[in-house]
Amino acid sequence: MGLLAPLALIGLITIPIIVAFYMLRLRRPSQPVSSTFLWQQLVRDVEANAPWQRLKRSLLLLLQLLLALLLAFVVARPFSEHPAGLARDLVLVIDASASMSATDVFPDRLTAAKRLAQEQLAQVPSDGRVSVIAAGDTARVVANEATDRGRISQAIESVTASTSASDLTDALKLANSLAKRARGAEVLVVTDDAFSASPDVVLEVPVRVLTVGRERDNQAIAALAVRADPSGLKRTLFVSVANYSGSIVGRSLQILADGVPVTARDLYLDPLTRADVVIDELPPGASVVEARLAPATDGDEPSGPPDYMPLDDAAWAIVPPDRLRRVLLVGPGNVYIQNAFALLPNVELYGATAAQWPTTTGKDKFDLIVFDGFVPPDLPNKPILAFAPPQTSPLGVVLGTLDEFGMGQPAVNDPLLRGVDLTRLHIARTQQMELPAWARAVLPGSDGPLMYAGLRDGQPTAVFAFDISDSDLPLQVAWPIMVSNLAGELLGLNAAALDPLAPSSPIDIPITPDSQGVRVTLPDGTVETLPPGATGASSVTFVTTRQLGVYRAEVIPAPAPSGSPGASPRSSPSGLGVATEDEPLLFAVDLFSSDESNIRPGDGARLTALGTDVPVDPANVGTARDEFWPLLAALTLLFLVIEWLVYERDGARRVLNGLRGLNPLRRSAGKAA
Amino acid sequence: MKRELLPSSVDPTVFDEAFLRQLERLMLVTKKAVRGGMKGVRRSVKRGQSVEFTDYRNYTLGDDLRALDWNLYARLEKLFIKLFIEEEDVNVHILVDASASMEGGAPDKMLFAKRAAAALAYVGLASYDRISMAVLQGRVARRFPSVRGTGRVFQVLADLSGVQPAPGPTDLVSACRHYAAQITQRGPLLLISDLFDANVERAISELAGTRCDVAILHTLSTDELDPPLEGDLRLVDRETGDGVNVTADLYTIDAYKSRLAAWQARLEEVSTKRRVAYVPIPTTLPLADLVFAELRRRNVVAA
Repeated sequence: MGLLAPLALIGLITIPIIVAFYMLRLRRPSQPVSSTFLWQQLVRDVEANAPWQRLKRSLLLLLQLLLALLLAFVVARPFSEHPAGLARDLVLVIDASASMSATDVFPDRLTAAKRLAQEQLAQVPSDGRVSVIAAGDTARVVANEATDRGRISQAIESVTASTSASDLTDALKLANSLAKRARGAEVLVVTDDAFSASPDVVLEVPVRVLTVGRERDNQAIAALAVRADPSGLKRTLFVSVANYSGSIVGRSLQILADGVPVTARDLYLDPLTRADVVIDELPPGASVVEARLAPATDGDEPSGPPDYMPLDDAAWAIVPPDRLRRVLLVGPGNVYIQNAFALLPNVELYGATAAQWPTTTGKDKFDLIVFDGFVPPDLPNKPILAFAPPQTSPLGVVLGTLDEFGMGQPAVNDPLLRGVDLTRLHIARTQQMELPAWARAVLPGSDGPLMYAGLRDGQPTAVFAFDISDSDLPLQVAWPIMVSNLAGELLGLNAAALDPLAPSSPIDIPITPDSQGVRVTLPDGTVETLPPGATGASSVTFVTTRQLGVYRAEVIPAPAPSGSPGASPRSSPSGLGVATEDEPLLFAVDLFSSDESNIRPGDGARLTALGTDVPVDPANVGTARDEFWPLLAALTLLFLVIEWLVYERDGARRVLNGLRGLNPLRRSAGKAA
Repeated sequence: MKRELLPSSVDPTVFDEAFLRQLERLMLVTKKAVRGGMKGVRRSVKRGQSVEFTDYRNYTLGDDLRALDWNLYARLEKLFIKLFIEEEDVNVHILVDASASMEGGAPDKMLFAKRAAAALAYVGLASYDRISMAVLQGRVARRFPSVRGTGRVFQVLADLSGVQPAPGPTDLVSACRHYAAQITQRGPLLLISDLFDANVERAISELAGTRCDVAILHTLSTDELDPPLEGDLRLVDRETGDGVNVTADLYTIDAYKSRLAAWQARLEEVSTKRRVAYVPIPTTLPLADLVFAELRRRNVVAA
C-alpha cells in the first residue's frame, strides 16, 4: 500500500480546524419568550462564559471528521501493487469493423470489446505506455504512447463502430510499426475474429488476442440492384439475401419505393445459402428502392434464430432515370449514327443540316448534340459528340488531315471502351488533332488522338477525329456498344453510375466550373457543403460516406455567370451527369460485404500466430497499480449525503411528510375517517 | 350597551354590546349549596322563601300560616308546614395572573386574560352574584372592591383596564396564598394564568384549600403552543431575564411540544386530585367560544 500524492495528507490539518469550530462558542441572537420554564429541560447546548466550550458528542462532527479524512485520502491516491500481466509498451488494437456491431453480446460486440480493453488496462505496469488503434474503415491511432490512464480510457471509449469492412491488415501493420519503436513491446488485439481470410501481415512482436462474440446467426441483403431492360420501359429489381446462420430461417423481405411499401416476400433460407429474388413490379417514376429484412412469423412465433446484426438488414438502390432524352444530329445525315442512337431506350433523335443550324430553335431542349463533320463557331453549352471536326474549335485544334498514321493502344479501362474490342478497327482517313487539356485520349494515334473525351466547361464531351464513314467501325459489333457507352457518359445513362458505393468509399461528383460547390444531404438528414477544390474544377470528391443509405447531391449554382474557362484533364470516371437543384444526383451506400455479414466469431489463434513466439521479457514486465480512490470517492459522496441529511433533517422530514400527504391511499383513508 | 356609553376609564376594545347580551343568558354554576349574605338566585343551605319545595315538618305554634299545606290537612287532618329552599347570592372570585410572562404572545395573553375575566365577571353580575376580582403580581394578590349587579359592570371593566403586567418575577404560590387568606365567603374561584411557575402545583393546592369551586383557565398563546423558532437562539425569560441557549429544529420543537403536553397532563392530574377544574385555553380561542362552549363543556358555567 502506498500513496501517489502523500503531500495531500496535509489536508488532514482540516480535522483539528473542524474540532476547533465545534469548540468555539456559538454567538446566538436573543429571542424573548414568556418563560424559559419548559425550555430549560430541553437545552442541548451548554452555555459557557468562556469563548471555548467542552467538546460534545455530535453526529455531525463525527461525519465531518470522517469526510475530511476520506477527502484527504482520495487526493493522496492510495494504491496497492501487483505484478503486471502486460508489457510495459502495449499497442492496443480495437476492431471497429461493421461486424463488431453485432448484438449477440450485450449491448454489442464493440462495447464489450471496449469493456475488455478497459479491464486489461489494470494489467499494464504503472509506468507503461499504451497506444490505441481503432481498426475501422481505416486504421486510426487514437492514443499514442499515452501514460495517463484517464486519457487511454477516454481514447478507448472514443472508438466508434464503422459501417465498412476491415480485415485488420492495416491496423496490424500500424501496430507493428508502433510496437517496434520500443523493446519488449506487445500487441493486444480485441476483435471478434470474424474474417474469412487472415490478415496479410507478419508482426515482429508478440500478439495477444481477446475475442468477443458468441453467435453466428445473421441474415443479410447481400446484393441489390435495379436494371432497366433494353427497351427502357421496365425496371427490374434484383435482390440477393444471404443466410449466414447454421439453421433454416424464415425472413420477410420488404421492398419500398421512395419510402412506400411495394411488396413483401417471405423467404425460407437454408443454412449458409443465398436466395435471389427478382421483382418486376416497381412503380414507374420511383427513384430510390429500399429492401429490408424483417423477421418472418409463423403465427405468433418468429421463424428461426434471431438476426444479430441489423446493419446489413437494409439496402438501397437508385433506379435509373427513365426520362426521355433528346439528341440532335447536325450534319449531312449518317445512317450508322442514326441507327445506333435509335437503338437506345428513351432516346429521341432529331436531325438538322449544317445550314439549318443557325436557325434551329430550342437548342437548349436537347440533352446531346452530335456534330457530324461540322462544328459551329459558337458551341452550345450542352454535352457534345463530334465526328471529324473540320476546323479548330473549342473541341480541339485541327492540324490537318492524315491519310497515313498508326493507331495507338486503346485505353481498355476507359468506361467508353467497356465491352468494346477495337483491335480490328481500320481507319482510312482522319483529322490530325491536338489533345485538348480537358480531355483524355481514349483511342490514341501516332500523330494525334483518334478519339478523346472529357469534361469541357463542365459538359461531357467526346470527339472522334475521323469520320466513321472512313472506317469500318460502323460495321463492327463494337459500334452500338460504343454508342451505348457514349450515351452512358454523355447522357448520364450509364448503369454502372448507379451502382451502390461501399461505405467510406470516395465518390467524384461532377460540377460545372462556375458552380460554388456541392451540397450533399446525408441519410441522417445532415447537410455537408463541399466547395470546389480549385477554381474551375469539374468535380469534387465526397468522402464522408460512412453512413448507410441514400445520399443526395445538389450543385450550388453561381450567383452570377462567371464564364471562367475550365480546364481539367480529369474525366468523370463514374460517368455521372452534373447534378442540379432540379435534378439532384442520388447515390446509395450499402454494406454488401460477406466478410462483415458473416459474424461467426473466431478464437483469435490465427491472429496470435501472426506475432512472434518470443515471450515478453520478464525484465520488461513492471508492476501494476490498483488505486482505491474511486472507492474512497464513492464513500466520501455517501458520507456527504448522510451529513447533509443529518444537517437538513428538518427539511428532509418536511419533504417526507409532504410526500406522505401526497399518498392518495392515505389521503382517501383520511377522508373516509 | 353602546361603545360611546362606556366610561372613559374602560378600554373600549374589551366588549361590544352583542357579546354582553349573550353573556346575560349565562349563569355561573356552583356545584354545591353555599352560604351567602343577601338574597340571590343561588340555592342556599338554609330553608327560606322560594318556589322550590324541599321538605315538610310538623306545624308548631308561631309558624307562618301561609306555609301550611292545606291539601295535606284535608287528607290527613294534620298540620304540616311546607319547607322551601332559600335562594341567596354567591361570591365569585376571579384571579388574573398579571406577571411579566403574561405579556406578549400572539394574540396577547394579558389582553385575553382581561377579556376572559371581564366576561366571566359579567356572567356573575348577570346572575346577581358578588364578584371579587384580584390581580396576582409579585408575591401578593391585589384585590378590587367586590361588586354586585349588572350595573357595576363598568366598574369591573375599568378595574381590568388598568391592569398591566408587572415587571420582575411573580411568585404564584405566595400570591395565591395571600388571596386565599382573604377569602371570607366561599364560591366559584377562577384563576386565569399561564401557570409558568416552578411551584405551580403548590399554588393549585393553596387555591384548592379554600374549599371554593376552583377552576383554572390555563392560558397559552400560539407562540407557546407551537414556537415559531428556528436556528441557534438564546431565549430570554421575560420575568427573570435568564437566558437559555437552544438549537431550534423540528426535533427540538417536537420535544418542547411533548414536554408541554406532559406538563399540562401533570397539571390536569394534580387539579383532578384537588377537585379543581383544569381548562387549557389557547388565546386564539374566540371569547364567545370560551364562555359558551369550552367553559360550559367543563361545567364551569351553565345556561
